[in-house]
Amino acid sequence: MDLSGKYSIPLVLLCLFSFILAASLASAGTFPFAYEQQTLPNGLKVIAVPLDTPGLITYFSIVRTGSRDEVEPGRSGYAHFFEHMMFRGTKNLPGPEYDRIVTGLGANSNAFTTDDFTAYHLTFPQKDLETVVKIESDRFQNLSYEKQAFQTEAGAVYGEYRKSVSSPFMILEEKLLDAAFDKHTYKHTTMGFEADVKAMPEGYDYSLSFFKRFYRPENVVILITGDVQPKAAFALVEKYYGDWKPGYEPPKITPEPPQQAPRSGEIAYSGRTLPILCIAYKGAAFDPGDKDYAAARLLNELAFGETSELHKKLVLREQTVEFLAADVPVNRDMPLFTIASMVKEEKDIAAVRGEIYKTIERFQTTPVDAQKLADVKKRMKYGFLMDLDSSDNVAEALARIVALTGGIEAIDMFYDTLETVAADDIRRAAEKFYRPDRRTVMVLKGEK
Amino acid sequence: MITDFKFQICNCRFAIAFLLLTAAFAQTAEPLKMIPASQVIALPAAKDPTVCFRLWFKVGSQNDPPGKEGLAALTAAMLTEASTKRNTYEQILDKLSPMAAGYSSSVGVEMTVISGRIHKDNLKEYVPLLMQAVLEPAFKQEDLDRIKSSTLNHLENTLRYSSDEELAKAELYNTIFAHTNYGHLPEGTIASVKSIDLGNIRAFYRGHYTLENLVIGIGGDYSPELVEQLRTLLASLPHRPPSGMLILPPQPKIHGIHVKIIEKKCESTAISLGFPIGAHRGAKDWYALAVANSWLGEHRNSSSHLYQALREARGLNYGDYTYIENFPNGGALQMPPANVARRQQIFEMWIRPVPHAARHFALRAALREFKRVVDSGLTEQQFLATRKFLQSYILHYAPTTMVRLAYALDDRFYGIDGSHLELFANRLNDVTLDEVNAAIKKYWQCENLQIVIVTENAKALKEALVNNSPSPYAYPAPKPKSLLKEDEEIEKYPLSIEAENLTIVPVTEVFEK
Repeated sequence: MDLSGKYSIPLVLLCLFSFILAASLASAGTFPFAYEQQTLPNGLKVIAVPLDTPGLITYFSIVRTGSRDEVEPGRSGYAHFFEHMMFRGTKNLPGPEYDRIVTGLGANSNAFTTDDFTAYHLTFPQKDLETVVKIESDRFQNLSYEKQAFQTEAGAVYGEYRKSVSSPFMILEEKLLDAAFDKHTYKHTTMGFEADVKAMPEGYDYSLSFFKRFYRPENVVILITGDVQPKAAFALVEKYYGDWKPGYEPPKITPEPPQQAPRSGEIAYSGRTLPILCIAYKGAAFDPGDKDYAAARLLNELAFGETSELHKKLVLREQTVEFLAADVPVNRDMPLFTIASMVKEEKDIAAVRGEIYKTIERFQTTPVDAQKLADVKKRMKYGFLMDLDSSDNVAEALARIVALTGGIEAIDMFYDTLETVAADDIRRAAEKFYRPDRRTVMVLKGEK
Repeated sequence: MITDFKFQICNCRFAIAFLLLTAAFAQTAEPLKMIPASQVIALPAAKDPTVCFRLWFKVGSQNDPPGKEGLAALTAAMLTEASTKRNTYEQILDKLSPMAAGYSSSVGVEMTVISGRIHKDNLKEYVPLLMQAVLEPAFKQEDLDRIKSSTLNHLENTLRYSSDEELAKAELYNTIFAHTNYGHLPEGTIASVKSIDLGNIRAFYRGHYTLENLVIGIGGDYSPELVEQLRTLLASLPHRPPSGMLILPPQPKIHGIHVKIIEKKCESTAISLGFPIGAHRGAKDWYALAVANSWLGEHRNSSSHLYQALREARGLNYGDYTYIENFPNGGALQMPPANVARRQQIFEMWIRPVPHAARHFALRAALREFKRVVDSGLTEQQFLATRKFLQSYILHYAPTTMVRLAYALDDRFYGIDGSHLELFANRLNDVTLDEVNAAIKKYWQCENLQIVIVTENAKALKEALVNNSPSPYAYPAPKPKSLLKEDEEIEKYPLSIEAENLTIVPVTEVFEK
């Protein structure tokens, strides 16, 4: 364990850390790596993906809870806040001691929270796997912190909010979600409503219940990528997590009722910015076997991507907008499918909005070109494969799918579904999702 | 340590004159059939199914002519985000898109790198597009209009208003290196970018995108034939003496503590501070200083001392870090960026936004911690723990072929015989506490600093700073008695700031010219 004094990591690792993408598009499945998985009796699932990353391992603890699960009024932002608290340690291993061990490993260690899940990750020398399993299992089972530490951390979280709030895009996201959703918890950002973030120092008892309800083995997946031997890793996970008691209490998330009519709003930003137009539609949850969802992903690229006619017209030829960006996200529940554009002149906002609507209408009525459809399918697959170039990046590429579906199988299933999408499916997806009664339009304008 | 630059020109104006004088040489020199092998950095990785390209031109924003700041960056963008003689930009995007491929440029003060990565299945279609971008740019007005508009939006709006901490960091560098070739953002200024035309772009391209300024970086699963192909194709670049590296102006001197307050409406106060240091990677004591810096402020790492003192113990902000090399885009990166090499570096401290009520207190707390380490150095225990951390942590610096290739280019820039990361690993093995503390004494000091603060109500802060007024901070939550006792010292910690060394600038004037 002790690296001091002697250089224990072979120097050669610095030169040999190369990487395999074992398969090309011709292979049977899209995900190019073999993997093994096991579920403990307490419900904890562990997935191991061996990779050619000599001497290095990435270890993700994926909690299938995110800001989506913040159902109680006044408690938005707690999934994220809780991510911070997980570094405050246990009675066995107080925060500074946990930090000392992680520092001693030289691990690249961090965590992040999203709308649907929270992930804690470390990349470290392979020989330290047992140490990592031990310290991670300890904090997931025995987290313990005092009220004072909780309140101090609330200051850091508010600091994170303050550093972000100068961005017009953060303001836009806050207001858009708030306007588009009435009941579902996607109404707030992962950071939370500012009033809730400000009030966090008073939420100590609530934070304890958050841990008790959500940080349970059947709600967590351990994903290990890199220089890992699956069987040995599973034995370690069983040894250290085996006594973890189940007890996950799924939150009662109110489904979003169907939207009845188009919505719109304006936002005044207190700095200077070019106006930002965002048109959002109630979309669909991720389902790897759902052809309509897969078609929407393709449509997004065909209609609004870098090679779309609209991008060429507005960004390259007429140059009325700084950028055009659209997203069909991967979410557990129904998210917003968005089209955003930064418009150079305020007078052009209406015209740009009109062009976006016209584009949608065209896709609702005219079948797409077969070659363009094939090109976009190819692009999506190569894009996915080319991101898999380190143990960190593989784990990060998998984390959301694992969080949403509990495994990796959905990746191949999704790309299989994608292959079956035909021109008429694209037209149908455009009709189904991009309707005025599912729409919320927001315009953000800066100071003159 | 820097041995790679044999041709040095004393400043931009002379550089242009020199280029004109050597034009005849360029016309009559014997054309090369191939780029010399010495100008190729190859990093084979047979198991990697992609091929990476990094074409390094030894030119950067230091080569921007006066009044044309931003020209290097615009020229590079006109290669990678614009039409070629064979394809319009629309056609290029259409061809690259199915391969999920692209190429891009990055321009720092002294390096321009055009990079791209492609799955080897698509190599044959990709390489001609990349080569045409570098060798056959079309330089169309409509492309320049689009790219300039984007640059101006970045300077006028994004950098001024959307991230106060990035604003503070950018202005720190501009202020420290003011009146030198380093003293402007690579993006330029609002006035200079507006003035750049296609004639400027063409001249800059002709003058600097030359055979002698080029180093070809290639990595991944490529064939020897591909390397030969690149060497042959790129040999059609103009042939003239290297132009990129200018004689450095003397390292800027700061006398006393200088403060620039950028005034704007904002939710919290962002602070960056620093001073020039002469340390460079490759030098023995750089690695000793790197240990001290890691202990004090390792980037986005909770183990560092400053982070513990300001964020963990006091909850003042989201994080606090220090640097001995330029680290642009720090909010988005976990590991140090590559290919932002430069011959003059600063020590930099990044204090992430704090509540306005804590701005004076946080600055004092940070500088007090800095003074403590400057005065006393690291303890044996701190040294051993940090060294152990770094011995493994540097393994994460270059996890992919693309990043390793970028590091290899930087090694060439800094004249390192071998690899910086190997050298780092070896030095961590034998560096001593005495060397670390000697490096602190040699390179760090607390008396001569430039501070940049982005905040509102600047006049009140100015008065408080100049008068050394006490700055107690009332925490929103209870704190241990020992900490509050220490705070009593912090709130009175003296900062010697003379009124004439403090300026207030409205945000609308920053990056203007």
